[in-house]
Amino acid sequence: MYCDALVSGSTLLFSLSSKHTLLSLQRSTPNHYLGLSETRLFGSTRTTRAAINDGSVKPVSEMTLYELLGIPQTVTLPEIKQAYKELARKFHPDVSPPHLVEEYTQRFIEVQEAYETLSDPRRRAMYDRDMARGLRLAFSARKMCKYDEEIEDRSEWKSRWQNQLSELKRRSMYKDARKDLSWAAQVRRQRNESSVES
Amino acid sequence: MTEPAYTVVSDSETAGAEKSSSAFPEIAIGIDIGSSQCSLAVWNGSEVEVLRNTRNEKIMQSYVSFKEEVPTGGVSSQLAHEHEMLSGAAIFNIKRLIGRVDTDPVVHASKSLPFLVQTLDIGVRPFMAALVNNVWRSTTPEEVLAIFLVELRAMAEVQLKRPVTNVVLTIPASFSRFQLTRIERSCAMAGLHVLRLMPEPTAVALLYAQQQQEAVHENMGSGNEKIALIFNLGAGYCDVAVTATAGGVSQIKSLAGGSVGGEDILQNTMRYLLPNYDSLFSNHGVDEIKSSALLRVATQNAIHNLSSQTSVKIDVDLGNGMKISKVVNREEFETVNRKVFEKCEILIRRCLHDAKVEVDDLSDVILVGGCSNIPKVRNLLMNECKKEELYRGMNALEAPVCGAALEGAVASGISDPFGNLDLLTIQATPLSIGIRADGDNFVPIILRNTAMPARRDMVFTTGHDNQTEALIVVYEGDEAEIKENHLLGYFKISGIPPSPKGVPEINVCMDIDVANVLRVLVGVMRPGNQQPVTPLIEVRMPTVDDGHVWCAEALQKTYGSTLDLITLQQNTALL
Repeated sequence: MYCDALVSGSTLLFSLSSKHTLLSLQRSTPNHYLGLSETRLFGSTRTTRAAINDGSVKPVSEMTLYELLGIPQTVTLPEIKQAYKELARKFHPDVSPPHLVEEYTQRFIEVQEAYETLSDPRRRAMYDRDMARGLRLAFSARKMCKYDEEIEDRSEWKSRWQNQLSELKRRSMYKDARKDLSWAAQVRRQRNESSVES
Repeated sequence: MTEPAYTVVSDSETAGAEKSSSAFPEIAIGIDIGSSQCSLAVWNGSEVEVLRNTRNEKIMQSYVSFKEEVPTGGVSSQLAHEHEMLSGAAIFNIKRLIGRVDTDPVVHASKSLPFLVQTLDIGVRPFMAALVNNVWRSTTPEEVLAIFLVELRAMAEVQLKRPVTNVVLTIPASFSRFQLTRIERSCAMAGLHVLRLMPEPTAVALLYAQQQQEAVHENMGSGNEKIALIFNLGAGYCDVAVTATAGGVSQIKSLAGGSVGGEDILQNTMRYLLPNYDSLFSNHGVDEIKSSALLRVATQNAIHNLSSQTSVKIDVDLGNGMKISKVVNREEFETVNRKVFEKCEILIRRCLHDAKVEVDDLSDVILVGGCSNIPKVRNLLMNECKKEELYRGMNALEAPVCGAALEGAVASGISDPFGNLDLLTIQATPLSIGIRADGDNFVPIILRNTAMPARRDMVFTTGHDNQTEALIVVYEGDEAEIKENHLLGYFKISGIPPSPKGVPEINVCMDIDVANVLRVLVGVMRPGNQQPVTPLIEVRMPTVDDGHVWCAEALQKTYGSTLDLITLQQNTALL
């Protein structure tokens, strides 16, 4: 059973990654790679059947991140977090009805990605700015990590962490290391604040 | 009594099955197998109940003795004396050994244990054996764990009066996927089906989420999101998690873990008391084992006493004219174990950083695990988190197993009329997963602390003109040096249309489902129209069993850079 789900899951990767195929959801045609447009294959941007509850037929690929979370653009951070948790309770495969697990898992991943951008003040500010400039910021267009700078961020942390480690080993005094960290924390906070304002 | 049955399930291991769809789903039990202690709990219909063995113990010792014809474990058998576990006939600390190769420092540290751990330093599984009637009888970590799990299963079946197959096991956050497959293998040998493997602090996080939810129901809590740091220091491992909790949802924001724990503290202290400890006991003679057991028990007691006293006197006759008589104070103890505590601090900082959380944001700091009574551990945790006190609402030894039992009920699809199971854990990946590319580099595709289920992809291209094949070598870890990461598997993709280097597009997609099963999908795309040129390859990982060090070296030696991939800078369609 699981295998079936996977096979059709990988079909999904292909047959659903374009707007063209949206209207004819054909999960059972594995060798039928239709009109794949600019959207990347395998992308975390496969389109599922629109917002499942709200009655709208707008496909996920055309929804903004706010629409994905079902919130207006003016919401505060706590409201974003709350909306995310509510949607997680609905779409997470641990709690979704067995026959909808596959579809809901997809939705969960999309909600998760929307949340990750909008819950980070700096990334949200960038996203909002682009939206204000009239760019059509649909979920699928978001794809390339303009708003995610995680990799950089982490490798930077990694080297800092390793420095700390050797520092600790050398002197076994952690006061300095802590000073380092709180400095980094300060910078991070400053960055966040300035991006909220902009 | 149920006969201990060894049933080996198919080669595809066991994880991955979804919740049963029958009208009366079996409630999965929660098991916490610690390096030194273990426990078992289950949702009994209204709350989580920690089960007791026939000796009325909730916390049992994790060991298996090979002294009798049928091996027995700490669940069913009673030790006449603590030294019996240290006679060489019993194997313990199995969680430190499972899924490790003989070049691993943790395996080397286990060589001073009373049973036999042999290393040849060539990157294969270590040889281990128990002393029975003056013969070293070989066994494997998987077998020892399976024997132990069979006892736990029998105990649960007797008490619950029903067959037990589904389990949720807690695991250290630092376990590699290869180690997880070894745990699953042991469960399969014991006839158990793994519903979830849960990093220990995330089990505690779920229990915390439930407690917060209860407080809201009783109008004592605010219902706002609460952020907690959970720190677990057991005998074998240290784990940290940061969780954001609201409305019964526990969102794991970050995980960090390392193989450092009470066993290291014990060994450091033993070496402090007896500096030539390693050379004295390296031969595993019967007398040597006896002496080392005496030292181990005396040191253990001293460490326990140092949690309540500021100094302790150790007086022990090790035989053969060796006597130790020494007063150790708490300061000395903390100096001897400085490195252990420093590692704990680093893990806490890393976890906070990864979660992008400041200490001021923390509502609660939770300490669990067998080492939670050590004053230095409490202090360093309060220091790092800048808190005056730690969370009080949990039993430090039972919290992980209770959380596992809650997850067992939730993942089995059980609901509770009073809403006590309206819970959810959103797990995060503890380690990054990626492939070898751009020369001998590790290119992560799914970063650590990505929410699960997850699916990420990345596009690569060829490194040579007219290259028609490429090797996909998948690793797990967070080390910059690719060799330091764990090889999960490898395969070749062929049929790349001949073209100048940098033109073909090879899409590598990684998918982790809710049961933490990893699948890697690779396809060669026709640039421009994005259609796959050949059928995709889909591989469930890990595929590499033992000898992962060898495989990577052999690949390197045979193919060099001829089948290399390069990351392709993607331009977004938007810009």
